[in-house]
Amino acid sequence: MTTASIKETTNIGVSKPRVDVREKVTGAAIFTDDIQFGAGLLYARVKRSPYPHAIIKRIDTSKAKALPGVKVVVTGEDFPHRTGLYLKDRYIFARDRVRFVGEPVAGVAAISEEIAQKATDLIEVEYEVLPGVHDPVYGASPEAPLLHPDLGNYEVPNFIFPVPNTNISNHFKVRKGDVDAAWSQCAAIVEHTFRVPHVQHVPIEPHVAIAQVDGEGNITLWASSQSPFAQRNLIAKSLNMPESKIRVIAPLIGGGFGSKAGITMEAIPVAIAMKAKGHPVKFRLTREEEFFTNFVRQGLVAKIKVGCDKDGRLLAIQNEMYWDGGGYTDYGVNITRAGGYSGSGPFDCPNVKVDSMCVYTNHPVGGAYRGFGMSEVHTGIVQAMHMLSEKIGMDFAEFLKLNVVQEGDKILTGMTMHKTGIKECIDKVTQAVNWGIKEPPSAPNKRRGKGLAVMWKAPAMPPNAGSSALVKLNEDASVTVLIGGQEIGQGSFTAMAQIAAESLGVPFESVKVKGPIDTQYSPYEWQTVASRLTWSMGNAVRNAALDARKKIIDMVAEAWGEKPEDLDIKDGYVISYKTEESISLKDIVVYGIPKPDYSGWVGGPIVGSGNFMPTYVTGLDKETGQGERAVVHYTTGAQAVDLEVDLDTGQITILKAASAFDVGKAINPDLVKSQIEGGFVQGMSSAIFEEMKLVNGVMQNPSFVDYRIATTADIPKVIEAYIVEAPQDDGPWGARGVGEHPMVPTIACLANAIYDATGVRVSNPPLSAEKIYLALLDAGVVK
Amino acid sequence: MSFHRIILTVNGSTEQVDVPGNMTLLQMLREKLALTGTKNGCAAGECGACTVLMNGEPVNSCMVLAAECDGAEIVTVEGLAQDGQLDIVQQTIIDEGGVQCGFCTPGMLISARALLNRNPSPTEAEIREALVGNLCRCTGYARIISAVKAAAEATQ
Amino acid sequence: MINPHPGLPELDYIKPASLEEASKFLAAHAGEAKPFMGGTDCFVRLRDGAWELKYLVDVKGLDGTNTITFDSQKGLIIGAAVPMNQVISHPDIVKNYPLLSEAARTVASYQLRNRATIVGNICNASPAGDTTGACIVLGGVLNVFGPKGKRTEPLSSFFKGPGKTVLEAGDIVTSISFPLPPNGAVGRYIKLGRNMLSDLSIVGVTVLGYPDKTTKSGYRFKIALASVAPTPLVPTQAEELLAEKAISEETIMEAAQAAMDAATPIDDVRGSARYRKYMVRNLTRQALTDVWKKLTE
Ligand SMILES: Cc1cc2nc3c(=O)[nH]c(=O)nc-3n(C[C@H](O)[C@H](O)[C@H](O)COP(=O)(O)OP(=O)(O)OC[C@H]3O[C@@H](n4cnc5c(N)ncnc54)[C@H](O)[C@@H]3O)c2cc1C
Ligand code: FES
Ligand code: FES
Repeated sequence: MTTASIKETTNIGVSKPRVDVREKVTGAAIFTDDIQFGAGLLYARVKRSPYPHAIIKRIDTSKAKALPGVKVVVTGEDFPHRTGLYLKDRYIFARDRVRFVGEPVAGVAAISEEIAQKATDLIEVEYEVLPGVHDPVYGASPEAPLLHPDLGNYEVPNFIFPVPNTNISNHFKVRKGDVDAAWSQCAAIVEHTFRVPHVQHVPIEPHVAIAQVDGEGNITLWASSQSPFAQRNLIAKSLNMPESKIRVIAPLIGGGFGSKAGITMEAIPVAIAMKAKGHPVKFRLTREEEFFTNFVRQGLVAKIKVGCDKDGRLLAIQNEMYWDGGGYTDYGVNITRAGGYSGSGPFDCPNVKVDSMCVYTNHPVGGAYRGFGMSEVHTGIVQAMHMLSEKIGMDFAEFLKLNVVQEGDKILTGMTMHKTGIKECIDKVTQAVNWGIKEPPSAPNKRRGKGLAVMWKAPAMPPNAGSSALVKLNEDASVTVLIGGQEIGQGSFTAMAQIAAESLGVPFESVKVKGPIDTQYSPYEWQTVASRLTWSMGNAVRNAALDARKKIIDMVAEAWGEKPEDLDIKDGYVISYKTEESISLKDIVVYGIPKPDYSGWVGGPIVGSGNFMPTYVTGLDKETGQGERAVVHYTTGAQAVDLEVDLDTGQITILKAASAFDVGKAINPDLVKSQIEGGFVQGMSSAIFEEMKLVNGVMQNPSFVDYRIATTADIPKVIEAYIVEAPQDDGPWGARGVGEHPMVPTIACLANAIYDATGVRVSNPPLSAEKIYLALLDAGVVK
Repeated sequence: MSFHRIILTVNGSTEQVDVPGNMTLLQMLREKLALTGTKNGCAAGECGACTVLMNGEPVNSCMVLAAECDGAEIVTVEGLAQDGQLDIVQQTIIDEGGVQCGFCTPGMLISARALLNRNPSPTEAEIREALVGNLCRCTGYARIISAVKAAAEATQ
Repeated sequence: MINPHPGLPELDYIKPASLEEASKFLAAHAGEAKPFMGGTDCFVRLRDGAWELKYLVDVKGLDGTNTITFDSQKGLIIGAAVPMNQVISHPDIVKNYPLLSEAARTVASYQLRNRATIVGNICNASPAGDTTGACIVLGGVLNVFGPKGKRTEPLSSFFKGPGKTVLEAGDIVTSISFPLPPNGAVGRYIKLGRNMLSDLSIVGVTVLGYPDKTTKSGYRFKIALASVAPTPLVPTQAEELLAEKAISEETIMEAAQAAMDAATPIDDVRGSARYRKYMVRNLTRQALTDVWKKLTE
């Protein structure tokens, strides 16, 4: 980083207004379903498997094809190539077998959605139903039927470890120290099995995509997408075509939370459009389909054992995780990996053993969800730590401060921990809830308690996930920033405008960052996931802006006969510290500057380019999970709540929630706080209300009627967000990401608080009123 | 299937539309009138993204048949700003940071405007109750609630 | 697998000009046509594919279905098409039948209640209906226009099972009538949902209490329970107990226990039978206590 980054800033650490907001409040903002395609538009619907596991014996599409208005009918026969983000284990339409309820079996395009729907009803599919796997622990056992007999032959990157002839599609191991030898030295040991159910992302905008194929076979896809480039790549792979023939356009997206990363339903309109002779084909999921046919957050069974010495110092952590991956685990395998290399939680411990197994089941397909496995992992490990602190007789905050990971610690994978503000986070949130002081409940039939949890999370991605950016100057001295990362509500366009403005030396208001992201024109970005944009894309934008800056300064230096070192750009003017001359960027950034007496010109239209890719992440040993640097960095944080439990109903009321995260540097503090608040509520919602109720693979509650999420009436009375800044060495101004982290500790935090209030531990979410009440009843706390 | 000819006003302008019996008001606004500010989040009355004013009162437009709207007066999010001047709740939701992805925002604004129309100085509990039918997955609601409070205060 | 249509399936919208015309049409198309008010139940069923209909018949606005009338001698009549929000805020109802407002206010969201109606809630015959209990304890009677003319249907014999009522093809409920509430009556509706507001009920408890010289206790309590039996449930033993025994904390607890014993809930996605039973007891106790407190204030 050049010295330019150290000088005083007017755009960094400042809560600039969002750049995308006016269009969003006036209804002018264009989301994918809002794009108009005219009369030629066809609508797709999908025939889905009603069985969790079955052989497809016969498909008869003749009646559907004969229905007036139907233009295309396709089945798995038409698309023989496998696809998948990490593990290539799935087809666009099932070919020989179906492995989850809702799996696409055939697709239809017709002149209306209604006709397409009717046509799917006319498709006849004959199945031979097979026994299913509905529990990951059973699935991992030798007794379970094999769901992917070909697992050993699937294409997979070298950091995923499938176990052929089992249902385990990735087995990630950590072996640090000697756990088995450590138990005998422990003064206290806790062993507990935790279960986390499947949940859904529930973006308010359901998935939608439109595809069109021109006469030369070029494909255009408009999609509500967090990862247009990854989608281009995956579609190319599954159709066996070069990336250059595919263009993905991603307008604003109405919430993603990971569900719109990788590829799921987007492949369907593409496949159908290939047979639709130039017609655009639109496919949108109904809210009900949104719940169970697309990526879900995997369920987890975690068998945890932890022990400490008499002073409360951790001696051993063992975490055996069975991830309920679903019928396909193309993305799930990497969640398992992330769960594995962070499987100790943010604790310093000499002996760690982690087994993180991704297990095929006949459940909906797991994918990325805000936190990428970390909410599930922390639900168990942080509760186990709470139990252990109680057993050894230590205040939980003290226990945490004694054991949390610190700069210089060798973490479970052998990586050396960087600077982190986790202790400061603990201090902030414990102060916020008056930790340690027992306060009275508001009524005799209520119990009051406080809960605390800590977390860490690293961006989970391939070691070489890259970003790039272009910074383009316009005649009026305004700046256009071109990026491939998406605005999904987190405010990335605004943060990028701040970074560009600051790096270039122009007013924030003169910088434009706008969608749609278009793989044909936007520079490459791996995916908008993993809380990596501010850090990774931020670096790319900064580099691009610095490149443009250099070009401008060189031009002016040449025109003025000065040294570049004596020049600077401020507020849209190039100034000379030496001569005190200045010149507006207007016009010169496009037309250049005439030499004296018009003896010629210098310069030309200014475009800066920049990229960023971490180059230092190393592989990890297959048997021990050890390696020099498992990940780029960890963002850490803490959360605390003060709540009441109603003894008559089991309902909880959160009086106050406080969260603190170490973001390295908050480029835009208000946006960071917004992420923290919104993330807390999403975490709280998943903790209290959410569960995909699966019975023999069939979701019983696939609608808002019975899959409840938090509303305005359910949020805490007070939600506080604190920012801690221990800078990241390779982040722009020290920044690292925080998009996912706020919901990671919440389940454990609430479970700990409920325990504090009632003395009864309800360890498995959802921590519903019913579950709490019945637990109180069984424990004799209520009668 | 027969079509019904209806005449209604939408954001102040008179429209004549032919609609099939099973078309919802939401579908008519988006597909026949290209007013895509009103969103479809569930088509089942649960999420509130489709909320519009019908004869001055908020309704889930996915739960109203277009054919029922003959003679109705509809206001959508596109009709909130007057001559480029944002409605006060549009301004305060910006100021308070109550917008993230923006997908719930149109319905949220309509519910908020309707609340302030019937109750210019609502309590926090009344605001929460009035917005309970508008789901938001991004913001955690607190800033939206503050925005409504701020709008109420600004108009006192 | 639940996999509804993206929109409403093909059907026709019928807007008759009179009750006679509507009734005739409905009778002639039995099984393929239904009347609707707010449509908030009808549309959901149609999308889900639970119903297949050719026609939806809009019976709003016909003959007095749109009005609320209150007479201090005769009582209250709420037109079938009156949306719940109007019931909730109507001054005569707030003053004389606050229980109706209280119950209606727990239904869904504000915007849904601009469509949803009380008569629709009753005719839908869901055991979870939030306003049904209030209508039962307040002695509501449905006014029906049918193929054979006008008649009335008391709620006590109206429900035949989940989604089933005594209504037949061609019957249209035009309004619901309530007698004047008993002197000094106090009501309470407690709804337990998964969310604090807007959810369907796991359990709903309606209580109406008033002084009554003809009972031993000097009071009469009417109770109706939602979501704990195939139809709205009146726990008569609990009611009798409260008429017989002097009202005290113990009597209230006993009555709550009797209500719990009367409930025959099932396990479903919203809650287990076990939890529901306990909630009937606890919420009945709470509702009775609230009402009792107000009666003795
Ligand atoms: C998102 C959502 C949330 C909901 N939440 C709740 C809730 O919290 N609590 C609750 O109790 N309910 C709830 N409901 C259900 C529904 O809103 C209520 O039952 C409502 O009162 C129905 O009224 P309506 O006028 O919309 O009925 P409609 O849909 O118009 O009719 C309902 C039934 O009654 C019949 N019917 C209607 N009018 C007449 C008539 N005049 N004569 C004869 N039969 C008639 C119809 O044929 C139909 O069978 C919810 C529904 C939705 C969509
Ligand atoms: S789309 Fe109408 S309420 Fe969700
Ligand atoms: S801002 Fe995204 S749903 Fe509300």
